[in-house]
Amino acid sequence: MADAVLRTRALCKTYFGKVDTPVLHDVSIEIARGGFTALIGPSGSGKSTLLNCLGLLDPPTSGEIEFDGRLIRERNVNDLAAFRNGNVGFIFQFHYLLPEFNALENVLLPCWIGGGRPAAETRREAQRIMERIGLGAFRDKAVYELSGGQQQRVSIARALVNRPKVIFADEPTGNLDRESGQAVLALMAELNRESNITLVMVTHDREVALQADHIYELVDGRICRTLDVGRSGREAAARELEDRSCTFKQ
Amino acid sequence: MKKPANRFEWMIALRFLLRGRAQTLLIVLGIAVGVAVQFFLSALISGLQVSLIDNTIGAAPHLLALPADRLPAGAFMGGGAERRDSGRVLIDERTEIQSWQTYVDDLRRDRRVLRASPVANGQGFIERGGAVIAVIVKGLVAPDGLDIYKIREKTVAGAPELASDTALLGQRIAERLTLAVGDKFVLRNDRGGRLVMRVGAVFDLGAAAGNDLLAAPMDQVRSFFAIGGVSAVEAQVRDVFAAEEVARDHGRQYARVKLESWQERNRQLLTGLRSQSTSSVTIQFFVIVSISLAIASVLGIAAVQKQRQLGILKAMGTSDRSASRIFVIQGLLLGGIGSLLGLGLGLLMGWGFVAGTDAAFGLEISARTLLTPIALALAAAVTASTIPARKAAALSPIEVIRNG
Ligand SMILES: Nc1ncnc2c1ncn2[C@@H]1O[C@H](COP(=O)(O)OP(=O)(O)OP(=O)(O)O)[C@@H](O)[C@H]1O
Ligand SMILES: [Mg+2]
Repeated sequence: MADAVLRTRALCKTYFGKVDTPVLHDVSIEIARGGFTALIGPSGSGKSTLLNCLGLLDPPTSGEIEFDGRLIRERNVNDLAAFRNGNVGFIFQFHYLLPEFNALENVLLPCWIGGGRPAAETRREAQRIMERIGLGAFRDKAVYELSGGQQQRVSIARALVNRPKVIFADEPTGNLDRESGQAVLALMAELNRESNITLVMVTHDREVALQADHIYELVDGRICRTLDVGRSGREAAARELEDRSCTFKQ
Repeated sequence: MKKPANRFEWMIALRFLLRGRAQTLLIVLGIAVGVAVQFFLSALISGLQVSLIDNTIGAAPHLLALPADRLPAGAFMGGGAERRDSGRVLIDERTEIQSWQTYVDDLRRDRRVLRASPVANGQGFIERGGAVIAVIVKGLVAPDGLDIYKIREKTVAGAPELASDTALLGQRIAERLTLAVGDKFVLRNDRGGRLVMRVGAVFDLGAAAGNDLLAAPMDQVRSFFAIGGVSAVEAQVRDVFAAEEVARDHGRQYARVKLESWQERNRQLLTGLRSQSTSSVTIQFFVIVSISLAIASVLGIAAVQKQRQLGILKAMGTSDRSASRIFVIQGLLLGGIGSLLGLGLGLLMGWGFVAGTDAAFGLEISARTLLTPIALALAAAVTASTIPARKAAALSPIEVIRNG
């Protein structure tokens, strides 16, 4: 891949405990800059684990991660936190909004963390983002007064506000009804298309995955299939996902 | 980079506290009550002590140079220390001090000494209208002699000036004998001496025994009682608690007089004051312990309650130190607001106490009684908040996010 914003080489992750649980094995993938990449696979295959490693939330046990050309070595947790603030945004299955703040204040939290009280320009930008995603009327609402879909849209705005290079989404519609889930997904796909923010999304919905440019399928912590939807076309990709059971290439 | 980050922490801390309003209010009230009790108690006890000390020595000498006679011989004769007077005690120095001017000058040279003056004492009788009452006659020298007994300050009638054949009378004597300024009376002594005196002024020293005093010029009192020297040299010091040390320092230099401080003459009072202070410190200690425990438990619960929020804040880039500072700031805010409120409450209690009881003493409101409870409450709050602060720092965002 010519322009990859993220690259992993032989990434391994083991959870150590009473019993050591190896979760990821030799994962080497590339995430195209500005693209939409979907991670799919059965439950327990390690999708969330991989996403958290890519998002620099969880350190891998071994292997390398290259983020925007920088090799992320074992770094101090506080340095990593500062790096995340400026470079990545997260959208999780649960919205993780802070009930102490209203919608707009929640959206502005990453700005507060990075540089204190947001400037007027930043606040206007946050409002623009909220209007763009249909939250204009809910700016000053307490987050617990919003519907699930609205809450998830607030967390999308929050992920966008610092203009990150990559947004990581872990089943962002997992907690929503079908309709609002569709709306949220459509919105994310649109945002990805109109800006050059890279989107990496975990999903177990094949329909959703087929909207992506690239699909990685994980089984038992290994990449078993890589689909370039952009090149093969959606139908071919769909057929491939339906027809063939996943087998590991040695 | 550091400053805005701090503002972020203050903002989060404030919101966390405002969100749990009932909880915050309870803990603030708890701190306030603790601080109020602490402030009120220490102000009350200090006030009591100040008034006790003032009653005892406010209008009295803090230290006395007395004739050597009053002392067991061995106490001052031994030791090779250098003496400023001759070691030999003259016969009449057993009851009087001859070279008193030396002692007065020496004491006055000491910067710790406020005033020093010789005094001649005697026991006299006043007869009037068939009544005879005993009075303590003090021969004083102006101005220090008058000021040691606060006679000028406490004069209620007449002019407090020392003049021949003029007596300054304590209120009690004046009342019992119905003497007013300008009246004449006869003062007698037990040797048959007789002196006609005019009342120059009446003073009221309050509850002190001072109201049985008759003050007159020293030289007249000396000749009336046939005293060759003076009865004592009296002094007041700037810091009343330094009196003992001043007495010791000067006493070491003299063989012919003995210096005695008010502390030596009031051992029991001092023991009382000390045990009061001890009990007040004990009470304060337990108040502090309970404040600390309350804050630690409330913030400890808050740290658990806010795990979700802290987890996401950390995922979005909040550092461990920042997360822990959020809790220290909460401690500071609780302690600060609580102690200010407590101070108000304490002042109110104090005001109620002063207005509602007729205690003979007030509250001692000083920088010490005001600031100590605040400082202690703040220190307790910050110390107590270190436990949740550490918890917040140790929290890993991935734990929170993985467990929903
Ligand atoms: N802290 C942990 N300690 C031990 N094992 C863990 C831990 N976290 C995850 N695992 C294990 O790692 C494996 C992968 O988990 P992960 O959450 O990445 O799966 P997933 O693909 O996201 O599944 P799902 O679709 O259900 O979300 C699972 O078998 C899980 O039990
Ligand atoms: Mg998952």
